[in-house]
Amino acid sequence: MATFELYRRSTIGMCLTETLDEMVNSGTLSPELAIQVLVQFDKSMTEALESQVKNKVTIKGHLHTYRFCDNVWTFILQKATFKSDDNSETVDRVKIVACDSKLLTQ
Amino acid sequence: MAATTTTSAVYIQVIEDVINKVREEFVNNAGPGEDVLKELQGTWEAKMIQAGVVIGPIERSGAPKPTPGGPITPVHDLNVPYEGTEEYETPTAEMLFPPTPLQTPIQTPLPGTVDSSMYNIPTGSSDYPTPGSDTGGGGGGGGSGGSGSGTNNNDPKTGKPSQFMQPPSPWMSQRPPLDVNVAYVEGRDEADRGTSHQPLTQDFFMMSSGKRKREDLPPQYHAGGFIPQQDGAGDATSEVFEIEVSGGSTSLGGHGIVTSANKEMLAHAARSCSKIPQLDGPIPDPYEDDVISTPNIYNYQGVFNEDYNIANTPAPNDVPAGTPAVVAQNDVGEDDDDEPPLNENDDDDFDDVDQGEEQNTQHLVLAQFDKVTRTKSRWKCTLKDGIMHINNKDILFNKATGEFDF
Repeated sequence: MATFELYRRSTIGMCLTETLDEMVNSGTLSPELAIQVLVQFDKSMTEALESQVKNKVTIKGHLHTYRFCDNVWTFILQKATFKSDDNSETVDRVKIVACDSKLLTQ
Repeated sequence: MAATTTTSAVYIQVIEDVINKVREEFVNNAGPGEDVLKELQGTWEAKMIQAGVVIGPIERSGAPKPTPGGPITPVHDLNVPYEGTEEYETPTAEMLFPPTPLQTPIQTPLPGTVDSSMYNIPTGSSDYPTPGSDTGGGGGGGGSGGSGSGTNNNDPKTGKPSQFMQPPSPWMSQRPPLDVNVAYVEGRDEADRGTSHQPLTQDFFMMSSGKRKREDLPPQYHAGGFIPQQDGAGDATSEVFEIEVSGGSTSLGGHGIVTSANKEMLAHAARSCSKIPQLDGPIPDPYEDDVISTPNIYNYQGVFNEDYNIANTPAPNDVPAGTPAVVAQNDVGEDDDDEPPLNENDDDDFDDVDQGEEQNTQHLVLAQFDKVTRTKSRWKCTLKDGIMHINNKDILFNKATGEFDF
C-alpha cells in the first residue's frame, strides 16, 4: 500500500517523530524499527482519515502563492477562512500542502 | 468543539492502531520488547496531550502523567520492561526459558531492551515473542476497552523507575559510540580534552613533547645532534609544541617561519632561541605545513599559552571554529565580504516565507488533492483526508473545497 509521509508533519506525526527520536538517541529503539513505526503511522493515519472522518470543510481566502512540484500542491493563503459544520476559523496566513490522491489508489 | 473531540478520538485510535500493528515487530525478531512499545505509546500520548491535541485520554489519564517522566529519563523505561514483565507476564517466560546459557547472558544486557534488538536477534526472539504475544493478545483483546488495560500497563512502567540503576551500566558498555557522541560530547569536553588529547600528543611526540618541554631542554638538543631524522621531525613538532605550550619562549624564534601569523612571536623568539633556528632554517617549507597541521591536532598543549591559544588553539578545539580563525588571519577582509552577504540573502529571500508561515503562524493544512482548477485568477480545489492545524487546534476533514483568489 502506498502511503504519504505527508501526515508526519501533523501534530500527531510530529509527536511520534519526537518520541522516536528520543528513543533512538537513547538507544532504546533501533532506527530501523523507528522507521517501521513511522511507516505504520502513515498507513494508520491515512486509513483513519478515510474511514473515520466524515467532516467537510470549505476554505476561502486570498491565494498568495501557489506551487505544484513533484505532484504536490502548495498553497499559501492569506486571510483564509475555514468553515466546517459547526465552527469557523480565520487565519491571516496558512499553508496548504496536498499530495495527489491518485497516487494512493495506484 | 465537536471537531476537536472527534480529532482527539481519531488520534487516539491512530495511536492504538499503530501500536498494535507494530507490536509484532517489537516483540518478535529480537525486537526491543513489549515494554519499549509501551514506552513509545506512553511518550507519544504524553506529547499529544501536552500539545493539546488529545483532549480526553481519560481512559489513559493515569498514563499521561507517568509517561512524562519517561521521556525525561529514557533509562527508566528500559529498566521497567524487566520488572514489569517479571511481575506480570514475562516472569513465566524468563523463568521457564533460562535454560540455554547463551540466552541468559544475552538477557542480562536485555534489561535495556534495546540491546536485545541489537544483539540478540535469534535468542531473544524465541523467548520474548511468546510472552509478548501473550501480552499483546491481552492488550489487543481489550481493543476499545484496551484503554483501561493500557493504563494498567503504563502505571507499572512509570512506577518502576527505582531499578533504573542497573540498566545504565549495560548501556554504557554495549553502546559506547552512540552515548559518547550524543550525550557525552558536551559534558565531557573538558575531560576529553584533558585526557584524550593529551594521549594523542604523547603518542606522537613521546620522546620530544612531554619530556622536553617540562623536564629538560638539553635532551632535545642532544638528540638532535645524534639522530638528525628524528630530531628534524621531532624538533619541528616539538618546537611547535613548545611554542604553543611554553608561550614561545625559546623555540618560538626557530618557528618564526611557522608562526608567520604571529609576528610577536618572532620578536620573542629572536631573543632567546639560538640553537633551534639553525635546525629550522634548513627545512622551512615542510615545517610550515606541519605547523598548520600540528596546531590543529595538538591543541591542548597550546592551551597553556594565552597568546598562542588565540591563534592556534581555537582551530584545534573546534575544527569549524579553528579553520575560520586561520583564514581570518590570512585574509580577514575577503571572508567577511564573501560569506555574510550570501547567508543573509539566502535567509531573507527563501526562508522568510516558510519561516513566517511555519514558525510564526504555524497554520498548516496537510491533505490530498483530488482536483485543482483555475479560471483566470480564481482557483478551485477539492481536497480530501486532511489534517488542519488552525489556531492551535487540529481539525480533520474528509473533504474540503477551496476557492481562492490569486
